[in-house]
Amino acid sequence: MSEDRSRILNLLAGGKITAEEAERLLDAIDASAGAAAAPAGPAIQGDPEPLIAALPKYLYVKVLAANGDNVDVKIPIVLVRSGLKLTSLIPPLAMDKINDTMSEHGMSVDFNNFKPEDIDELVGGLRDMEVNVDAKNGDTVRVYCA
Amino acid sequence: MNLPPMILNLRVASPQRRSVHLWLPLFLLWPFALLLGVLALGVALVADGVLLLRGRRFHHYTVLVARSFAALCETRGMVIRFSNEKTAVDMTVQ
Repeated sequence: MSEDRSRILNLLAGGKITAEEAERLLDAIDASAGAAAAPAGPAIQGDPEPLIAALPKYLYVKVLAANGDNVDVKIPIVLVRSGLKLTSLIPPLAMDKINDTMSEHGMSVDFNNFKPEDIDELVGGLRDMEVNVDAKNGDTVRVYCA
Repeated sequence: MNLPPMILNLRVASPQRRSVHLWLPLFLLWPFALLLGVLALGVALVADGVLLLRGRRFHHYTVLVARSFAALCETRGMVIRFSNEKTAVDMTVQ
C-alpha cells in the first residue's frame, strides 16, 4: 500500500475525513498513478508507412516582392538536416570566421551551439513552423513545411 | 543513402526571347567527382591521423568530406524559381 493511501485511511479511521472524502482522494491517487504509468505518446498500431508518408518533406520559402520579383524555393527537409549536421563539423577557426561575419551582418547566431543531438529536435520543430511576413511596402514572405 | 543528383533541369523564359529549356546531365560529372572525392577522403584521412596524433581536439575532416557528399545527395528534389517582369528562371535538381 502506498504512503498516500495509508495516510488517507488513517485520516478516515481517525474520523478527520468522511468516507466520501476518502473515496474521492483515493480516486484522485488512482487517476494520477494511471496517468504516470501511461506511455508518453499514442502507440502506433499497424503499418507506420502512411504516417511517415504524411510527414512534411519539403521546406518552402516564398517571397513575393512588391516590385514584381518573386522567389520560390523548395528545399528537401533531409537537406536541411544534413546542412545543420554539417555545421557541427566545421573546423573551429572557420566557425569563428563564420560567426564573426554573421554578427557583422546583424545575425548573432553562434553555430558552436549547434550540437548534433539537438539538430533532430530542431528539424522536428521545423515541421510545425510557419512564418508569414507582410511588409508595409507590400512584400510578403512565407516559410512553411509541407 | 540517396544517389547524387543526376539531372539539373533549367528553364529560362522571357517575353522578348525564346524560352530555353536545358537538361544538364550531372551524372556525366560524377565519375570525375568520384575521383576527386576519393582523393579528398585520402587527404582528409591523413590530416585527421596527424591531428589525432598531435592531440588536437578537431580531427573530423574525413567525416566532414563524407557528410558533404551526403548533403550533396540530399539536394535531389530541390526547386528554385525566380521570376520578375522580364525573366522567369526555374531550376530543378533531379
